[in-house]
Amino acid sequence: MNYNWNWGILLQAEPGGSGSYLQYLVVGLGWTLATALAAWVIALAIGLVVGTLRTTPLKWIVRLSNAYVEVFRNVPLIVQMFLWFFVLPEVLPTGLGDWMKQMPPPWGSYVPAVLCLGIYTSVRVAEQVRAGIQSLPRGQGMAGTALGLSLLQTYRYVILPMVMRIMLPPLTSEFMNIIKNSSVALTIGLLELTGRARAMQEFSFQVFEAFAAATAIYLLTNLVVVLGMRALERKVRVPGLITAQGAGAQ
Amino acid sequence: MSGFDFDVIQRSVWYLFRDGMTFTVTLTLMAMAGGIVFGTLLAMMRLASFQPLAWVAGAYVNLMRSVPLVLVIFWFFFLVPYIGAWVIGEKTPIKVGAFWSAVITFTMFEAAYYCEIMRAGIQSIARGQVAASLALGLNYWQTMGHIVLPQAFRNMVPVLLTQTIILFQDTSLVYVISATDFLGAAAKVANRDYRLVEMYSFVALVYFVISFAASYYVRSLQGRIAVVR
Amino acid sequence: MISVKNVSKWYGAFQVLADCSTEVQKGEVVVVCGPSGSGKSTLIKCVNALEPFQEGEILVDGISVGDPRTDLPKLRSRVGMVFQHFELFPHLTVTENLTLAQIKVLNRQKDAAVAKGLKLLERVDLSAHKDKFPGNLSGGQQQRVAIARALCMDPIAMLFDEPTSALDPEMINEVLDVMVELAQEGMTMMVVTHEMGFARKVAHRVIFMDSGRIVEDAPKEEFFGTPRSERAQLFLSKILQH
Ligand SMILES: Nc1ncnc2c1ncn2[C@@H]1O[C@H](COP(=O)(O)OP(=O)(O)OP(=O)(O)O)[C@@H](O)[C@H]1O
Ligand SMILES: [Mg+2]
Repeated sequence: MNYNWNWGILLQAEPGGSGSYLQYLVVGLGWTLATALAAWVIALAIGLVVGTLRTTPLKWIVRLSNAYVEVFRNVPLIVQMFLWFFVLPEVLPTGLGDWMKQMPPPWGSYVPAVLCLGIYTSVRVAEQVRAGIQSLPRGQGMAGTALGLSLLQTYRYVILPMVMRIMLPPLTSEFMNIIKNSSVALTIGLLELTGRARAMQEFSFQVFEAFAAATAIYLLTNLVVVLGMRALERKVRVPGLITAQGAGAQ
Repeated sequence: MSGFDFDVIQRSVWYLFRDGMTFTVTLTLMAMAGGIVFGTLLAMMRLASFQPLAWVAGAYVNLMRSVPLVLVIFWFFFLVPYIGAWVIGEKTPIKVGAFWSAVITFTMFEAAYYCEIMRAGIQSIARGQVAASLALGLNYWQTMGHIVLPQAFRNMVPVLLTQTIILFQDTSLVYVISATDFLGAAAKVANRDYRLVEMYSFVALVYFVISFAASYYVRSLQGRIAVVR
Repeated sequence: MISVKNVSKWYGAFQVLADCSTEVQKGEVVVVCGPSGSGKSTLIKCVNALEPFQEGEILVDGISVGDPRTDLPKLRSRVGMVFQHFELFPHLTVTENLTLAQIKVLNRQKDAAVAKGLKLLERVDLSAHKDKFPGNLSGGQQQRVAIARALCMDPIAMLFDEPTSALDPEMINEVLDVMVELAQEGMTMMVVTHEMGFARKVAHRVIFMDSGRIVEDAPKEEFFGTPRSERAQLFLSKILQH
């Protein structure tokens, strides 16, 4: 292949003056994680509520939560990004819309990106929560009710703690998805890891070094998440409870 | 905001579908076909008893699944011209349009996901079926082609289709290489006429209707297949 | 026709077959019995190389099964096999089940293959079902189709691995009748089964296995008369009770 490799480029200064290209990319990882983590909080909170609601006997609530899931599942992420970034400020009341539009960079991109990713992922979390609850033996709920707990208390103290443990493996993979998906925020101007690799390619013309470095950073991040989650899983394991992973593994 | 302007949609809708949606749908179908073929090969490799083959396929699948699609799109957008030049023996990178670059990217990327589906499908076929086929004298490829893959494929049709709906939505990311897919076409009109609200809302609506209808169809298919089995 | 010489096989450290030797002559019917887990299926699967073995030698019509140079598909196509769970191909019709290997392995013309298939289907009395899918047949019918499928290949020998043990009692006889007929026509057969009635009627020899060993290998009359090993006596008394 006729390509001039120059790995030294990673240590050269980037034109913005913040340091080397490598540092520039690592800061990008910082933004990736900051976006992913903030969105994860939203995704977990909404996902838990909506997923739980979908298993309740309350018909209208179930229907409403199903609609929520369908809407955010059937529109591509990048289109949702554009809705949050371009469309929402225009349809909000003028004052609020202007405030969103006038947020200084990078917050003007960061906030819509976090909201978008959070809600986009909440739908997937909700699916996992529902599947997790429905996989529990029915007796668990009944045992709770038999002890005199209310519906709310049964969910809070019996069902959800069990479900959280069952759901750890699927949630790990959702968390890795949110890290990967945060790259879509580059389309609304957020300079996270992929966006910075792209910018580095434009400044330095060293295409493959830029993308290779970004790829390596993503792989390392994945590794750390997997190991971390595995440790967490061991810590919260309930003796005798088959985890979703254990049951699903080949 | 000066009210919702339906007119811009009406003016551009023909262009959006003729250029944009055609691109999107063609890309989806080609990447689906290529991805399922390549993914099935990967699945067979992953299940091969020859360890290096299984390892290579496993590494490929895990790599693709660990990296954001946007980054993969960039990779291939810049890499394919070099690979093309290398294949036909040119010195300088060849020109590859956004469309073919996208077809190659999505085929290679989705293959990793189709691979895992087909792998589960192959593993769901009872071992006795393979034994019976071998006992009749069919060789590995005949056993795969006539006995295992048709059954695996049939069992996995709903999952493969669900993955294809995801692929259909994912193709909108070719926006990052300025391709004129459905979203790209809408973005062009939106920026030209400064009608972002209308165009992006319309795009969201169209994607929603198509994806929702398709998932509804897959779900009903799932019910029917479950009965037959 | 089939000769098994000092065959041993291990799954990891666990020995499934220990120094097994026996011989099946042309036209001979040999019944293999023994308690569950004794290695009967494993032994019979070694004969057409569905299971590899680490030690010993198996010759089928003079061809060594364990030899890496042996054309296994060709060898397998000459040995018919019938499985406990039928293993008809559920996505193919009965006729397609009967013709697939004829066309792909023996390179027969489609017409010839279909003609052959229908002839054997008639023989197992199932002509009316030629266009059905296996899922729409009863267990006994499926097993008869499976036997016809194996016979389509004009095998020099037939292997049966508990062909009736997955069947409801009322269907066992329809399958056994077909097998008895085959035996009386002089087919070379190696049959893993607990159907001692079948053994009494057509077997020439009975092999009794226990923990991977061939404990007893005797002519039928001798085996049912006075089995030499205690294990075989105990086993016989257990199955003959019902
Ligand atoms: N793939 C395998 N891995 C490890 N052990 C195995 C495997 N297949 C079979 N075995 C073991 O080998 C032994 C013999 O198995 P085999 O199926 O030949 O027994 P069998 O005599 O046919 O019994 P049955 O009457 O139950 O069919 C058993 O103890 C079984 O657990
Ligand atoms: Mg057995």
